[in-house]
Amino acid sequence: MTRGVRRFALTAHVLASVGWFGAVAVFLGLAVAGLTSPDAQLVRAAYLAMEVTGWAVIVPLAVASLLTGLISSLGTAWGLVRHWWVVAKLLITVPSTILLLVHMPPISFVASVAAATTLSSADHAQLRIQFVAQAAAALLVLLMATTLSVYKPRGRTRWGRRQRDQQRALSRPP
Amino acid sequence: MTDPPSDPTRQGDTDDDTDGTPRWVYAFGILIAVLVLGFVALHLMGGGFPAHDLP
Repeated sequence: MTRGVRRFALTAHVLASVGWFGAVAVFLGLAVAGLTSPDAQLVRAAYLAMEVTGWAVIVPLAVASLLTGLISSLGTAWGLVRHWWVVAKLLITVPSTILLLVHMPPISFVASVAAATTLSSADHAQLRIQFVAQAAAALLVLLMATTLSVYKPRGRTRWGRRQRDQQRALSRPP
Repeated sequence: MTDPPSDPTRQGDTDDDTDGTPRWVYAFGILIAVLVLGFVALHLMGGGFPAHDLP
């Protein structure tokens, strides 16, 4: 990749990842409001907004973060499995994106119930508590991913060390 | 403290030469395992996976 393309991919990755974090923070706020507010109108609005936020913002940003992350790692010397911090980020992003897609239908379900009727505090309480817990957990793992990106802790995987050793052997004068 | 390089080739890899798995990777693994266990426990105690609550 050229330097310009590399920087563009990195900029897109940072924007998508930080946007994903911010959108999940909004989602958590809405989930808490939906679970705890005594105001029926606010509860309804919260679950409707959660569905829109999830499908229109969080899912696209998660996919964009994953794709731009793959492009950025594969297109640079960092590689995808050479450095532990990149592997760790991959292990965070891929399951998070899958879990997000798996958990969107229940959110749509509660939003449709909220749109049709007035939700009492007991209605689908377990599911609504899960939304809060899942959003909090998502924030935690996204915070971990951001921290890994900023600090880039050292350490190569076995594959990365082997590649480094091969490169050194090739560059060594005979 | 110096900032880590934005590209591993810029610094000649001299500070990344330690062999073996760094300690932070084990800590990360434990944290992820705790999160996964918490996630599974949440679903089991919460009456199953969300699909059970769907119509």
